[in-house]
Amino acid sequence: MRLIIFSWEYPPRVVGKLSEYVKNLSTQLAANNVEVNVVTYDDSITGSAQEPTGVQTVRVSNPVHTHIGVLTWVLTLNQEVERAAANIYYKANKQIDLIDVYDWHFIPAAVTLKNGLGIPFAYSVESLEDHRTQAVNTPYNLAIKSIEWLGFYEAKKISVKSEWMRDEVTRIYKVPKEKIVVISTASNSWIKEILKLYNKVAGGKIVNET
Amino acid sequence: MKRDLAVMMLTWEFPPRVIGGISPHVYFLSKSLVKQGLKVYVVTCDFPDAPSHEVIDGVEVYRIDSYKNPAPDFATWVYLMNLNMQKETAALTRKIGDEIDVFHAHDWLVANAGIGLKHVFRKPLLVTMHSTEIGRRDGLHTSTEKMIHETEAWITYEAWRVICCSEYMISHVKWAFGLPSNKLVMVPNGVNTLCYNDIDSDLKDFRSKFALPEEKIVLFVGRLVYEKGIHVLVNAAPKILEKVNAKFIIVGSGYMKEQLLNIVRGMRLEHKVLFEGFLDEQTLLKLQKCADVSVVPSLFEPFGIVALEAMAAKSPVVASDTGGLSEIIEHDVTGVKVFPNNPDSLAWGITKVLLDDNYQKYLRENAYTRVQEKYDWEKIAQQTKLIYEGVLGEYSKSFWA
Repeated sequence: MRLIIFSWEYPPRVVGKLSEYVKNLSTQLAANNVEVNVVTYDDSITGSAQEPTGVQTVRVSNPVHTHIGVLTWVLTLNQEVERAAANIYYKANKQIDLIDVYDWHFIPAAVTLKNGLGIPFAYSVESLEDHRTQAVNTPYNLAIKSIEWLGFYEAKKISVKSEWMRDEVTRIYKVPKEKIVVISTASNSWIKEILKLYNKVAGGKIVNET
Repeated sequence: MKRDLAVMMLTWEFPPRVIGGISPHVYFLSKSLVKQGLKVYVVTCDFPDAPSHEVIDGVEVYRIDSYKNPAPDFATWVYLMNLNMQKETAALTRKIGDEIDVFHAHDWLVANAGIGLKHVFRKPLLVTMHSTEIGRRDGLHTSTEKMIHETEAWITYEAWRVICCSEYMISHVKWAFGLPSNKLVMVPNGVNTLCYNDIDSDLKDFRSKFALPEEKIVLFVGRLVYEKGIHVLVNAAPKILEKVNAKFIIVGSGYMKEQLLNIVRGMRLEHKVLFEGFLDEQTLLKLQKCADVSVVPSLFEPFGIVALEAMAAKSPVVASDTGGLSEIIEHDVTGVKVFPNNPDSLAWGITKVLLDDNYQKYLRENAYTRVQEKYDWEKIAQQTKLIYEGVLGEYSKSFWA
């Protein structure tokens, strides 16, 4: 299996807990014979990284330096994410099984790659705009929510880390519950469940549900 | 048999959505390219009551939902609109198979979509730069302006070729983004001559609504803003009226209107200088046909389409020697060029034309011939097709092909 992970944070760039999680996940996947590519943001200030074995990492920087907010920053960075992903896709003879995208930032790229090249994606939810900015409904927050909604709508599967988050995604975005998979990081079978999710998204070999 | 060359145009405006000059430009270019045997797709923003897909003069037009995402400001709206435009165009490109040869974007307003599609499908991207933020604002003063400027720099960097409509814009764009000369190519803007042929030849009644039979009509069409130089024409009016009986008709609106009206009142020329505001298209076309002289006194002008329109309407042109106007008008052949921001020079040019009927006729005929030779959409489409073919020739030798 060959996949690309999109994450706006990845070591050495650490914003929250997501960074270390994605690194751990990629390392584990590589150990399970998955060809892992990570596309992330190069902030050019946090120094060099010790790359985990078997994981290919591409760090892209923003072609537009001046911005008026996170939204414009994210939206211009997405084309670089697309460029990096397309380079991986063509180098691999157009054989990419799926994209796993973490949070809303790179949803636009995942959606374009799905519609243009037919690569399915999983949307892995770390947090939601509704929780980050509670009871705030400016056009700015609504725009971010609309990108989250687009991700839920276009994704083949959604993964969350708790039952509570599954209920929240269902409540806020009216996503059918069957589309959401709960995978607890504390579970012993964590990586197995991730692989099961990827198989479902890629539409490859059927794994029996237990 | 080799299939037709296929182009995917990206534009934020296309008729019936008309905001500025890009809309008619893409419309005439696209339908003229179809006549050259190309397959042309246009993806653009939606408009009330316009269908999401239709075929106009052989052009496949797709309109996307451009207000799908709420936006806090105009610039952010542009990037969010691009998200949806890119997604819809990606789906369309996939649906029609491996058919698109080139993506052609118009201005920074569709930069993100164009750049993303280039990489996703690995096809050449071309951009036409109709204007620049640094030129419009005369510098970069705010974060929004800098962001737009950098987005323009980004798409000119990503594009295989950058098309500009005048030599003036070529040098301006080259300076603004530090581009190599061989990346830039000039293709003039076109003008539609047919719309003037449909106008009645007998315009006596129409003319009498604006001027007395013995008054010559001096026409200005443009926004009433400083860079269009309308104040120069107003200041030239009394100098012209010393020599020839004329009526000055000013079409357009802008922030300088009150100020200009005050100057006219001070000169006691309210009966000679008429401010008509915006006019509907038919009235404007008729006025351009009746005008004894059309004046373009701009101080800054990237192209100067209004001079071309006057030439197509067979109205003699007096224009200031600046920007794109310097290229459109050949002095003493297709019009009269005068010093910019100089009422004496402008009055001299206008008087010279109005006092000599034979000279008027000579300028009219030369100008109309020039429009047909150089600014005809069919010829422009031919040049554009050659640019596409040149790019595809280079592309075929690249590792993307």
